[in-house]
Amino acid sequence: VQALLVFLAVAALSLLASSRTLLDPGRFPGVAQLVASGLMFLIFGALLGPGQIGVLTARDLEGLRPVMELAQGTAGVILGLNLEPRLLRSLPRQVFSAALSHAGVAFFFVAVPMAVTLLLTTRLPLPAVVGGAALLGAAASLSSGHFAVLGYRSGRMERSRGLAVALLTMLDDGVGLGVLALALVLGAAASPAEGVGLLSLALLLGMLCGALIAFLTYGLKDPAELVAAMLGGVALVGGAAAYLRVSALLAGVACGATLALVGGKAVAQVARALGRFERPTYLVLVFLVGCYVQARDVEAWVLLPGYVALRFLGKVVGGKLATRFAAGTLELPPRLGHALIAQGGLALCLVAQYLVLVPGELSQHIFDVVVLGAVINELLARRAFRQVLEPHRVAPPAPPVPPAQEGAA
Amino acid sequence: MSGTILRLGLLTVLLAAIARVQVWREDTGTPVLLAAGALLLCGMFAGKVAKGVGLPRLTGYILVGVVLGPYALEFIPGAGVKGLELVKGLAVSLIALVAGTELHLGLIRRVGSKVAILCAAVCGITFGVCFAAVFALKPVLPFLAPMTVPQALAVSALISTVVVSFSPTVTIAIVQETQARGTFTEFLMALVIIGDLFVMVAFAVATGVTKASFGAGFDFQGLVRDVGWELFGSVGVGALLAVAMLVYMRRVNRELPLFLVGLCFAAAEGGTRLHLSPLLVALAAGALIANLDERQSQRIHHAIQLAGLPVFALFFAAAGAGLKLDTLMTVGPAALVLVLVRAVAIHQACRRFAPTEDPRLRRYLWMGLISQAGVTFGLAALVARTFPDFGPQVEVLIVAMITTHELIGPVLTRRSLEKVGETRGDERPHTA
Repeated sequence: VQALLVFLAVAALSLLASSRTLLDPGRFPGVAQLVASGLMFLIFGALLGPGQIGVLTARDLEGLRPVMELAQGTAGVILGLNLEPRLLRSLPRQVFSAALSHAGVAFFFVAVPMAVTLLLTTRLPLPAVVGGAALLGAAASLSSGHFAVLGYRSGRMERSRGLAVALLTMLDDGVGLGVLALALVLGAAASPAEGVGLLSLALLLGMLCGALIAFLTYGLKDPAELVAAMLGGVALVGGAAAYLRVSALLAGVACGATLALVGGKAVAQVARALGRFERPTYLVLVFLVGCYVQARDVEAWVLLPGYVALRFLGKVVGGKLATRFAAGTLELPPRLGHALIAQGGLALCLVAQYLVLVPGELSQHIFDVVVLGAVINELLARRAFRQVLEPHRVAPPAPPVPPAQEGAA
Repeated sequence: MSGTILRLGLLTVLLAAIARVQVWREDTGTPVLLAAGALLLCGMFAGKVAKGVGLPRLTGYILVGVVLGPYALEFIPGAGVKGLELVKGLAVSLIALVAGTELHLGLIRRVGSKVAILCAAVCGITFGVCFAAVFALKPVLPFLAPMTVPQALAVSALISTVVVSFSPTVTIAIVQETQARGTFTEFLMALVIIGDLFVMVAFAVATGVTKASFGAGFDFQGLVRDVGWELFGSVGVGALLAVAMLVYMRRVNRELPLFLVGLCFAAAEGGTRLHLSPLLVALAAGALIANLDERQSQRIHHAIQLAGLPVFALFFAAAGAGLKLDTLMTVGPAALVLVLVRAVAIHQACRRFAPTEDPRLRRYLWMGLISQAGVTFGLAALVARTFPDFGPQVEVLIVAMITTHELIGPVLTRRSLEKVGETRGDERPHTA
C-alpha cells in the first residue's frame, strides 16, 4: 500500500507541477520556484509523512527504504559518472582553489559554531558532535548552479559567467562527499578504525560494481538491454551497500567514477540510459526525504536561523575569495557568493544517508535543519541571484521554468 | 556465448563475496534492493545463455533464480525475494496489457465459440480427474485425512480448481519471445485467457462450498456479488485505464514506457486492494485500445517491449528464487502424481475435443497448457488466507506442483509453437 501511495502522490504532484499557472513566476514567485526545483515534493512529503498528517507511517517508511536506497545509489552513480578524469585533469589549479575556497569557507562558517553550540547544549560524545557538525558544514558547503545555468540560457547572464559558476558548484560536490565520509567514519561505527573499514568496504564495493557494469555493458547494443543492465547495476550497488549497512551514496559514486574511468565508449550510452530516470528518481527521493522530516523538532528550528545565516555569510565571503583565486582563469560575476545560495539535491542525499546509517536524535536534528534550510535557501537564492545579474539584463521578465531543466542540478 | 557465461559467472562470484561479507557483518540492512539488482542482471544473462542452448529465455530467468535463491546457493536472502512482490503485479499487468492488444474483435468472432467449448471441455475433464485423484489421496495427505467425507470432497474440489488453472503470463511471455504468429498461437492465447476466467468463477464457487462444508453457510448472493465485481469491475476499471492511456498518448506523448510501467503498477496494486483481477484489468484495457485505435495499440506493444525486459527478467527470476524446493521433499510424491494426472487429462481432453479442422491443435495444444505460475500462486495464497486451518498445507502442495510446472511448462510451450511452425525466431533480445 505504501508504495502505491508514494507512487500516486508523486504522480499527482508531477501533474500539479506541470501546471503553467503554478510555474508562472509572475503569479506566485515562491511557489513557482519550489515547484520548478522539485522542493514542492519535499514539502508534500513532509506533510504526508509521520511527522505531520501521518498518511505514511514510520513503518511505511521502513518498508520504502529500498526505494530510498535505490535513489541514493542512482544519485551516486550519476555523480560518479560526471567525474570525467580527462576533464578534471584539464582544469587549472586555480579553479580547484576557487571551488575549495567557496565550499571550505561555508563549511567552516557553519561547522565550527555549530560544533560549539552542539557541544554546549548536548551531552553527546565529542566524535559524534564533530561528525554531526561536520555534516552540517558539508551540506552548507554545497551549492547548485541551476540559477546560473537558467540565467545564461535565458540571456540574463553572460554564458561564460554562467558556465563558470556552474563549474564551481559542480566541484564543491567533492567537499560534501569527503565530509560525509568523515562523518560516517566518526559516527557510523563503534570506533574510527572500524569506520574506516566500512568506508573502504563501500568504496571497494562501488569500484567492483563499476568495473563489473563496464564489463557487462561492453558489447551490448540493444537499448533495452543497456537500460536493463544499467538499472540492474545501480540496484546491485545500492542494494549491496544497503544490505551491508554502508553508504549507498558513496558506493554509487565509486561505481560511477570507476565506470567513467574504464567504461570506454559504453559510458555515454550508459549515462544516457540512466539520465532518463534521473528526474523521476530525484522527485521520489525528495518526496521520501520530506517524509522523514520532523516538523515538531524544536531544536532544529532553533538551529535553523543560525545555520541559514552562517551559510549565507560563508558563501558571500567564500565567493569573494573564490573570485580572487580564479582571477584570470574564470570569468566570474561580481558578488559570486550570491549566486551560490541555492542548494542542490546532494545536500539532501548527504543528510538522508547520515540519518539512515547513524540513526539517533542528533542525526534527526541535523537532518531537519538541512532539509528545512534547503527550502529556505531555495527561496532566498532567487532574490540573491538578482544581485549577481547586470542591471541592464534584469529587466526582461523571467520565463516560466520548465521542470525538466531544474532541480536535479 | 562464452562471454555471456563469463559475465554470469562474475556476477555469481560478486554475489558470493557479498554473502560472505554479510556473514562477518553483524549489522545488516534490508536485502530487497540487492535481490532486485542481482536477479535482474543474472536473469538477463541467464536468459541469453538459455537462448544459446535452445531453451526459452524464461527458463533461464527461472533457473538462475532457483540456483541463486534462498533454497539453493542462498546468495539472495529469502527476505529480499519476498520483498519483490510488487514486481509480480507489475509484470502480470504489463504482460496482460500486451496480450489485450492482440484481442481484436475479428479474432474473438473467428475462434471465440470454439475456444470456449474446448476450454470448458479441458477445464471440466481436468477438474474431474484431479478431483478424483485428490480425493483418492485423502489417506496420504495429512491435512485431508482427518476431514469428514463431505469436507474432504469440498476441499478436493477447491484444490482441483486451483490445479486446473493455466498460466497466461508464461504463455504470453513465450509468444512474445518467439514472436509466434498464426491461428494456433491465437487459439492457445485465447484458451489460456478464457480458461483463467473459468477458473476464477469455479474457484469462487468452490470456496463458497468449502466454507459451507465447514459450517459457515452458503452465501449465494455474496458469491454472485464477489464474482460479478471481480469480472465486470475489472473490465470497467480496465476501460477507464484504456481511456487514460489514450488521452496520455494523444496529449502528452512523452516517455511512454515509463508512463505504462507507472500506470500498470498503479493498476496492479490498486486492483488487488479493490479485489479486482489485475490480469483482467490490464487485459480489458489492452483489448479496448486495440479495437479503438490500432496505431496506439502498436505503440503500446513497442513501448512495453522496451520496458519489458527488466520487468520480465526480474519477475521470472524472482519467481524462480521463490520456489520452495524443500516442499518437493515433503509433499513431492503427491504433487508429482497430480502433475502427471493433470498433464494426462489435458492431453486427452485436447485430443478428443480440439477442433478437427486443424490437426495441429489435437497434437500440440496440450503442451501449451501445462505451465502454471502467477495465477496459480495467487489462488494458492488465497486458499492459505481463507482457510488458516488447512490452507497453508494446501498451498505447499500447490507450490510444489508449480515448481515442476514452472520448469517444464515454458519449454513445452515453446516446443509446441516450434512444432506447429509459427515461431519467427528470437531476434529481438528485449523480449521476455
